[in-house]
Amino acid sequence: MILQESISTAVDAIRANLMRSLLTTIAIVIGTASVIAMVGIGSSAQRAIDDSITNLSARTLTVYPSRGRGSQTVNASPLVIKDADALIKDQEIKWRITPEIRGSKTLKFGNESISISVIGVRENYLSIQGYEVEEGLFLTERDDLARKRIAIIGSSVGTELKTSSKALIGKDIDLGGVTFKVIGMMKSEGSSGWSNPDEQIYIPLLTAADRLFGRQIVDSIRVEVPNTYSPEEAMISIERVLRREHDIGPGEENNFRINDWSQFTDLQKQATAIFSALIIGIAGISLLVGGIGVMNIMLVSVTERTREIGLRKALGATHQAILLQFLIEAVTLCIIGGVLGVVLGSGIYLLISIWQDWVFTIPFSAIFGSVTFSACVGLFFGIWPARKAARLEPAVALRYE
Amino acid sequence: MSIIAVEGVTKHYALGTQTVEALRGITFEIQKGEFIAIMGPSGSGKSTLMNIIGCLDSPTHGTYFLNNQEVSTLEGDELAGIRNKEIGFVFQNFHLLARNTALDNVMLPLKYAGVEKAEQLARAKAALSQVGLEDRMDHQPSELSGGQQQRVAIARALVNNPSILFADEPTGNLDSQTGHDVMQLFHNLHAAGQTIILITHENEVAEEAQRTIFIKDGLIESDSTKEVA
Repeated sequence: MILQESISTAVDAIRANLMRSLLTTIAIVIGTASVIAMVGIGSSAQRAIDDSITNLSARTLTVYPSRGRGSQTVNASPLVIKDADALIKDQEIKWRITPEIRGSKTLKFGNESISISVIGVRENYLSIQGYEVEEGLFLTERDDLARKRIAIIGSSVGTELKTSSKALIGKDIDLGGVTFKVIGMMKSEGSSGWSNPDEQIYIPLLTAADRLFGRQIVDSIRVEVPNTYSPEEAMISIERVLRREHDIGPGEENNFRINDWSQFTDLQKQATAIFSALIIGIAGISLLVGGIGVMNIMLVSVTERTREIGLRKALGATHQAILLQFLIEAVTLCIIGGVLGVVLGSGIYLLISIWQDWVFTIPFSAIFGSVTFSACVGLFFGIWPARKAARLEPAVALRYE
Repeated sequence: MSIIAVEGVTKHYALGTQTVEALRGITFEIQKGEFIAIMGPSGSGKSTLMNIIGCLDSPTHGTYFLNNQEVSTLEGDELAGIRNKEIGFVFQNFHLLARNTALDNVMLPLKYAGVEKAEQLARAKAALSQVGLEDRMDHQPSELSGGQQQRVAIARALVNNPSILFADEPTGNLDSQTGHDVMQLFHNLHAAGQTIILITHENEVAEEAQRTIFIKDGLIESDSTKEVA
């Protein structure tokens, strides 16, 4: 009975000072929203990372030049196509290798014109990356050697040109002033977090080198290591071949670096964990600040309503009844903040998951947990004001001006 | 049978380093069904006496029996229980909850008494009918006139069938005609057997009661009963 009465009184009191109450809950809203958004984003990012790991059928290593990656950068010892050929010719390990030449070009089709990431690769790129062709064909070794002007488009390139990717197959497109024929379209892979293969165009490596970008310098060399070798063994072999190719004497440092993809994802996981911890920390501080805000406003409320408290006591309200009334008001305030925070946090996460093409899933435990935690903040910070109210002397409180 | 028996009641307050003796030894009895006025100038100890008889405060010394139960030794929630069951308060400035309807205001003491919801409603409606406000039950205080608000307060005071109806300057915030109507309501309740204690500093209001206790400097200066005409 008293509980029900207290809840309706609390809601009335909050409604009576709606603006003040909502402003008070802002810190609670921010705290809860960060937790919800972070839990959602964290789990989606984790899923994306896990997916990209399983996409790689075997260990993939990537070789980069030491300094500077783009064609603009002056680089004393860049990676060139010949380095990749040397790795292929070296028979110590049966690896599969594709160099990558990347660059941004203007893509024109009809009246549409967009800037797009173009990547020149060999025919084995598909199997190294674990990608698949949705429709049409991928390039062949013969296409590469013939430096054919053909292109395979990512699944969402068509949409950006205000048509469908399928409709582009067989059509001619203009890439940086060179005409290419679209021969195929990739299956949608979804963003991996740092690049989106769906928004790229693939062309033969040698076409890219000789006809589009006019350079032998590659941005990276991707190496698929068979399961029978450890990445360490493969790294030693790659190092040996490239040091020879680059004429690096004993004791001199490598002018290239080899990235282990899985190490990279480990780093990514660590970064995500650090980021989560940071956000949880911020959330904790906002909830603390929010709790103090709620305590403050409850103290104001107790003072403002001293005569009401006096009256309630005169009519027979016990210490416990008054305590409960104000405690419930504080908790209700925090729960409202918590629920608003869940809505806001889910909204933020929804927008990000749409943008990043992620699956939207918030565990129920996160929602339940953060609202419950908000309620506990209210309970903790509401105790002092509520005790202050409950301890008022009725005779004094009734005459309070 | 005396409903109130006060004997040798004193009340001391600590005010800084000084001790203020607000009441210096009060003794009187009130019989069931009496209509009594307690008068006195401000600073006389009238309010302190009212707090003690109304169970809002405890005396420093002396005994107070209400309905043959000693209440001078009780404190906190025990006194809250006594106030809830035995005493109905009517205040000068009505003291209604602004955001609640007349009906909700009248139901409040029953909620603290732990009465069933259906019975709360029935008794609150009956009390509002008793003061002639059956058609104003869903109005909030701001939608009622001063006289109507005071009648809601009287209905709230009556809803628990208290032993004493306690009215502290009940007409102080009302114009004379409305004040007269409210006094008429008290007379009707008195005629129906209700014990009423009126706290006032106005002779005119005190005249309405059968008996007047005059307090001055913490002591009873006079206790006079009117001749019944």
